[in-house]
Amino acid sequence: MSQAVSFYATTILVYFGVDILACWSFNLQYGVAGVLNFAFIMFQAVGAYTAAVLTLGPSSGNGGFQQYILGWTLPFPIPILVGGVVAGALAYVVGLVALRRLRSDYQAMVMLVISVIATLIVTNQTNLFNGPAGLSLIPQPLSSLASTNSYPWLFVGVTALICVIVYLFVHRVTSSPLGRTLRATRDNEDAAQALGKDVVKLRLFIFVFSNAIAGISGALLVQFIGAWSPGSWLYVETLVILTAVIVGGTGNNAGVILGALLVPVAFNEATRFIPPFGRPGLVDALQWIVIALLALVFLWFWPRGIIPERRRRFKVPAILLVGTDPPRSSAS
Amino acid sequence: MTTTEDRRDRSRPFLEVKDLRRDFGGVWAVDGASFEAQAGCITALIGPNGAGKSTVVSLVGGALRPASGQVILDGQDITALEPHERARLGLVRTYQMSSEFGGLTVLENLLVGVPRQRGERFRTLIYGKRYWREQEESELVKALTLLDRFSMTEKKDEFAGNLSGGQKRLLEIMRSLMAEPRLLLLDEPMAGVNPTLAREVEGYLSALASEGLTMLLIEHELDVVERLCESVVVMAQGHVIATGKMDELRTRTEVLNAYLAG
Repeated sequence: MSQAVSFYATTILVYFGVDILACWSFNLQYGVAGVLNFAFIMFQAVGAYTAAVLTLGPSSGNGGFQQYILGWTLPFPIPILVGGVVAGALAYVVGLVALRRLRSDYQAMVMLVISVIATLIVTNQTNLFNGPAGLSLIPQPLSSLASTNSYPWLFVGVTALICVIVYLFVHRVTSSPLGRTLRATRDNEDAAQALGKDVVKLRLFIFVFSNAIAGISGALLVQFIGAWSPGSWLYVETLVILTAVIVGGTGNNAGVILGALLVPVAFNEATRFIPPFGRPGLVDALQWIVIALLALVFLWFWPRGIIPERRRRFKVPAILLVGTDPPRSSAS
Repeated sequence: MTTTEDRRDRSRPFLEVKDLRRDFGGVWAVDGASFEAQAGCITALIGPNGAGKSTVVSLVGGALRPASGQVILDGQDITALEPHERARLGLVRTYQMSSEFGGLTVLENLLVGVPRQRGERFRTLIYGKRYWREQEESELVKALTLLDRFSMTEKKDEFAGNLSGGQKRLLEIMRSLMAEPRLLLLDEPMAGVNPTLAREVEGYLSALASEGLTMLLIEHELDVVERLCESVVVMAQGHVIATGKMDELRTRTEVLNAYLAG
């Protein structure tokens, strides 16, 4: 494999891993708990900025051409983990405001406004994360462990490992009674409350947990690409993840992996090779339109996505099966 | 589902509603309603459309907050509690409109009703399935037994959203029973149900009452009320206008004027 192909392949794989994390996170909120988080990309960005300023070292470095807070140099994987923690902490604060009211349209509006405010703050408060120019020259972790050629594959391995670990936790939520109750609150929050479920608390938990995953995905991405700016997390980027979840199958962890592969990875890569035509930027603008149309088409014709949420079947406990072979009792 | 105490003491009021008032945009839907429901029996709440019955159920269940008045459950003032806090005290309600969890199977709907589930706690993330498996298995047995009682076993793996209107009603009652109610609020459980299934629902409610479960029932079919309910509360225009047994109420002028005569 030539170096160029290797670089292209590893870049795609790391992006795929980051998008899988993002889609799991968004799916937990939207597909499982019914919270439409239009500020999703903000939590990914918080993880990215946090990891960046915990890795970059003092802002006086490199001639002091960047302004940012902290400027620490912490070893892998601390910046990634702290990125997740900070995103989760921010989610707790936002959730206290946005999730108090149960109506999803109210939540969606609050999230959208918060996302726009966050972009304006980071862009204008230039001493936080270097304003609109963003942060660059962010060191890559573990770079001493591999040669320049093999390092991207090392990063692919790190990404895969993080995906596996995160999946174990995501699966614990979705396969447990907690996941079942969250799906119940998604389907009918009033009825869930009337059965004794503290819907606000449950949603706040899943909001913090899943946005911590979003923060980890952003931290992982920034460690790979080495740069991050407000242009990386425009609020419309959330629509890409939303579309991926809708296309793949809301409420299905495997479905949203397919969505992550098809929308942010395959679709973006396919359109990358379209020769430019018309006015400059027209192709990019058309990409957004096509993604929005994709979401609409699926919502109209395949609202449950390509791999729909699966039907949970339970085996009848042995105690109820007199005279037959006792099967194991568990959710399948 | 019901406590021994409920079955023993059928004389004390298990639910006390005191001077409840609630307006919507200045129109008083409930205007000073007071009544009691005795432990271990079915109390009916009847009245013409717009009398304020469903609003009273929402005020008792906690979905709505009263402008004034009190709701007292088993001697405890619960007026300030959230709906989920009331449910945890055993006050469980059903809805006039179907309120199934459509994306969950019938069996999952029932299991959601289980109170104090270990698997709903956040430490599930740390300990995994071994933390909740044992409780889940015992609740699964309860749920399957309940499905068998309501002749719904064959529907256990069906998505609840695909059930017929009548089956959704049964599911809602079963789900409420899984929540271990001490007081069940039933808002027209037979509305939109075919006559055969309505008789089945009536039979189930009668059986539950004989087991000592306290119920507050909104129902328009007065023959059903007469057969099922020991006590009847009649509402009109936000007020309680009469209480008593159905056969007595049929002859009361104010009831006839407000409700029976249309």
